[in-house]
Order: sequence, then C-alpha cells, then structure tokens
Amino acid sequence: MPNSMSVHVGPLAHDAAVMDGAQLMSANPYRPWEARITSITPLTENEKLFEFRLIDERIREAFHHEPGQFVEVSIFGVGEAPISISSSPSKGGFIELCVRRMGEFTRRLHEMQCGDIVGLRGPYGRPFPFDDMRGHDVLLVAGGLGIAPLRSLINNIHDERSDFGNVTIIYGSKNPSEVMFRDQFEMWRHRKDFDLYLTVDNPDDTWDGEVGLVTAPFEHLEVDPGNTFGAICGPPVMYRFVVEEMRKKGIPYDRIFMSFERHMKCGMGKCGHCQVGHQYCCIDGPVFNYWEAKNIQGSM
Amino acid sequence: MLYRVIDADELPALVEAFMRDYEVIAPVRSGRSFAFEAVSSFDEIVLDYPTTLTSLKKYLLPPRETLFEYDMEDGVTDYELRVQPRVLFGAHACDINAMNNLDLVFEDARYPDPYYEAHRAATMVVGIGCTPDDSCFCHLLDSGEVRSGYDLFLVDIGGRYLVSIGSVKAADILEGACSPREATDADRRAFREYTRARQQAFNPDIPSVQEIPMLMDAFHSDAFWEELGSRCLNCTACASVCPTCYCFDIRDVLDPSGETGRRERVWDACTSPQFALVTGGHNFRAGTRERVRHRMYHKLNGFNSKHGRYLCVGCGRCVHACKTDISPIKVLEFFEQKGAEDAE
Repeated sequence: MPNSMSVHVGPLAHDAAVMDGAQLMSANPYRPWEARITSITPLTENEKLFEFRLIDERIREAFHHEPGQFVEVSIFGVGEAPISISSSPSKGGFIELCVRRMGEFTRRLHEMQCGDIVGLRGPYGRPFPFDDMRGHDVLLVAGGLGIAPLRSLINNIHDERSDFGNVTIIYGSKNPSEVMFRDQFEMWRHRKDFDLYLTVDNPDDTWDGEVGLVTAPFEHLEVDPGNTFGAICGPPVMYRFVVEEMRKKGIPYDRIFMSFERHMKCGMGKCGHCQVGHQYCCIDGPVFNYWEAKNIQGSM
Repeated sequence: MLYRVIDADELPALVEAFMRDYEVIAPVRSGRSFAFEAVSSFDEIVLDYPTTLTSLKKYLLPPRETLFEYDMEDGVTDYELRVQPRVLFGAHACDINAMNNLDLVFEDARYPDPYYEAHRAATMVVGIGCTPDDSCFCHLLDSGEVRSGYDLFLVDIGGRYLVSIGSVKAADILEGACSPREATDADRRAFREYTRARQQAFNPDIPSVQEIPMLMDAFHSDAFWEELGSRCLNCTACASVCPTCYCFDIRDVLDPSGETGRRERVWDACTSPQFALVTGGHNFRAGTRERVRHRMYHKLNGFNSKHGRYLCVGCGRCVHACKTDISPIKVLEFFEQKGAEDAE
C-alpha cells in the first residue's frame, strides 16, 4: 500500500516565524494561543473577573473583539470552554472574562493564579450592533451572569458616551451578595448620564436598591420606541418576559437584541453543539435580534 | 461533463492503476452485508452492492482525530497530521452528495477546517451507478444524481461503462490504464435505459412530499414528534451510520506521564442526551422528543436554510440502523398521512 503523507496543519515553529498575527490565527483555527493571567478580581462567592494578556505580540495586535463576542479558553489537560468577553474593546491589549465556578473547567480556572498561562482562541460570534446603536437610546437588561457579556457593551458605550442618547441599565440578581461589579455600578448610580436600576429578588439589610424582577422597572420607564435599541442577556426564562416588556414599549422586533447561551465547542459552525433551530449560536449568534429569534424553532 | 465509454473488462486495469499511488477503498462483502474497506485486488470489490452499513465519511472526518499535541510546560507543540492518499472507489450518488454536503460545512470560506481539507485534498472519488433498494429515497431529496464532487463516475450500460470524467488527474489515470472511446448512439440509448430502469426501481411506498422544509416548520408542535421521540433509545446509531452527520466533541487527553497530552475531536451525536447540555446544568434538548425532532429538522429544514440543500441524502442507512424504526421515511409518511387524513 502506498505510504501516507504528512500534512502540516501548523503553524509549525519555522513557518510561524514569518507570519503576522492574522495569518497565525487562521493557519489553524483550532490552535489556542498562550495568554497570561494578569489580574484576578473576586466578584462574588462564585464569580471572579480574570484579566488576560496574549503573550505573542502579533496575536495580541491581531485580536480585535466587539461587545457580545466570546473566546474559547483552554486549560491544557482539562479542555476548552466558551466564555463571553466582559471587557470593552476600548480596553486595548487586555481581555477580561467573568467566570462563575460551575463545573470542572471553571473550578480549575478559579484555582489559577496571576501569572498562570491559559490558551485563548477567537474572538467568535456575531456581536451586538454597536455601530448601529450609535446616535440612539439604549436599554440594557441583564439577569445574573448575563451581565458578563453585557458589561462589554455597557463599558464600550461608557467610553464613547457622547455617541449615544439615553442609556438605561436594568440589572437583576437573586440576592445582594450575587450582584457583580457592584462598586462600578454604585459609582454610576449618582451619574446623570446613566439610568441605572439594580434590582434583587431577595433583599437584605445592606440593600438599598430596587426589589423585584428585572421587568419591574419597566412600569415607570419612558421609552422613545422609534429611537431605542434593546439588549438583553440572562437566564433562558428571562427572555420572554423582558422581550414582552420591550415590545409593549414599542421597540421594533429587529431592534431588540439578545445573547443566547449554548455550549459552543468549536466556535466555528461545525461541531453542532450550539445549534438552535437552523442557526449556530457560535457564528450566526450568540447575539440575535428578536425577529431572528422568533424565526428559530425552539429558541425561546 | 465530459464522458467516455470503456469496456467492462478494462475495469481491473483501472483499479490496479489507482492502487499504484493510492490506497483503494471499495465496497466488499462483510458478513451478510457490505462495507467500504481497503482492498488489494479488483476481485474483492462488489460493484453491484445495495448500500453499505456505514458511510464514507470516516475517510474525511475520522471518528477520532488529534487536532494538536501539547506539553504542559510549553503549550502547543509542533504537530503534523498524517493523511493517506486514497481513492474511494464505487461510491453511490447519495454518498458523493453527502460528501459534497460535508464540504459546505468544513470548507466554508470563513473557517476552513485544515484537517478535513487535508483529507479531502488527498482523496479521489470514483462513483458508480446503482439500483435502489427498498429503503433508498435519495431521489425524493434531490440526491439521486450527482453532478460534482467526483473524479470519475461509472455507469454499467451492459458489458461496458459510461464514464463521466470530473478531474484531469482521473482523466490521465483513465487514459493510461484503459482505452476510453467516444460514446456511440447505442451507448447513449443504453445509458437512458439505465436511468429509466433506475427511476422505476425506487420503492413507490416511500411518499414523495413537496415543501418538506415548510411542513417541518408548520408541524413543529405536532404530537407526532412526541410519539416518534418516545421510541428513541439514545443509542446514536443513526448519527454514526449517517453519511452527513458531522457533529463532534472536542476533548483533551492527557498522557500517563501527565506532562504531555493532545486535543482531539471525536464523533458526537445530537441524539445523545448530553449534547445540548451547558455548564450549570441546563439542557436545551432534554428529552428524546426534542432531540429526535432536532435531528430531523437539521436534515430536512435547517441545512436548507443555510445551504439550499437537504442534509439528508436518502441513503437509507438509518432506516436499517435504528432499532425502533425512527427515520426520515417516518417523517415523510407522517406528512403524507396528515394531508390524506384531513381530506377524508
């Protein structure tokens, strides 16, 4: 029988020497790139904010993300997990990921220290339409860990605040102890350019914010329906109710955007795990507008 | 498409010519059934086989494939993929269409898959005309004929073969091994007799249904899916024998030393219970109803939305593999019955 032959699916070290960052990343899209943990901030009992810096300068320069996108994080010997990016693209050179300790992978990540190395590949997915949102009011609704991807959008809007009209943020948690980025939001409560509603289901003595579901603040909300974009991210049960409130305010179907949670294993529209109806969350989403979501069988 | 005619007794020389430079995979007898296997002589090949138990996809998308290797100290290490130059000899139209469907997923412009591309580039495809058996329904899903994705396609027209020639490489090998000649009127008439006979050989009991993708949407909530799904045993045999099921899992395998390891992909199936499970415990398709329906949807609706083709090629393998009689034929029969019921 004829011999098999060797095919480089590299990039091998000697090829890589002459490549730029984009060429390196596309040479083998399954290959993760080394990134160092540069900061770890505990947010709650179960959530930490990790800051990463890609080690290869070429990769770092070629890596551009937009709010709503995610990366595949590798811990060698453990595996890979898709995690949405929490930092704004305006925070150049660093990537922040907000990670809840839930399974084996996130448990191992939580045990890591500053200076430890992980692998990153991406960014993947269709982002929030940041440029289309410019010049408009934005109404952002996050539930629980849904704040992780929305924070990227919120911070990006913050950094280019003058490009936007009224910005309203509703962020709901079960308990006060589960509110993430509390310092940042506490600071923003006194700002005139953000309407902020922090709400919890079960208040305690420390809580002086709103009480109730994320839909509660809608009652008094004034929305200019022709000029508003909605952005939603939270647990699956939340979407239907929040979308309904946004529709009641008259926001058009195709200006309500939501980020779907699925297990994107490859990130490139192949492995099938994140399929929802005819769409792949990893390449067609994870951000879909409500019209698209309605057209996906079994999505909501 | 350019075509020529060769005599049947020239076929062994063609296969031998391929064997000089390629591993030849062809249909052989395997117990009471047939399988694609590496052959070392023409005599092993069964050209008039009905359908093989499993498909050819394993040659483009191996059941288990290393993506790269790593060192716990230094991260990803240089890795070379070994590919075997092969000729897939004797593929039916449905199976070639199936590989063409896989191309749409793995050779897409945005994220071309380097592993799949390497296998595909090293693979030649020689198709052969077939006579459908009772579980074939390729013609109902636009996969009964194939116009691309092969190097040669042979049709037995009685003691000789009409050969469609799809690539220069194959043309050279064909001309070197055989004496291909221009077709005569008699050859062309014989070819038409073949297409007519084949057309008439399809099982008339499998209903031809129009607007299947729209019907899939329209009957998304029908009780039918509960009934069909309730029979599913989660064995995932359907996905494993299917020539177009391409889903995979990605996992890390650490060597015993704990110092080196590899990341690999292995076949997975959307009919497997954990397939749509996310960290944190929510399963987006927790029941057999949702999983079986999703699989049928992707085959008969979802892939159409993306690529304008059915993902199911009607090869009938799952019809035999499923122990509880779940197959796209049942979906077609449901739609057929649905209209008739209302008319009564």
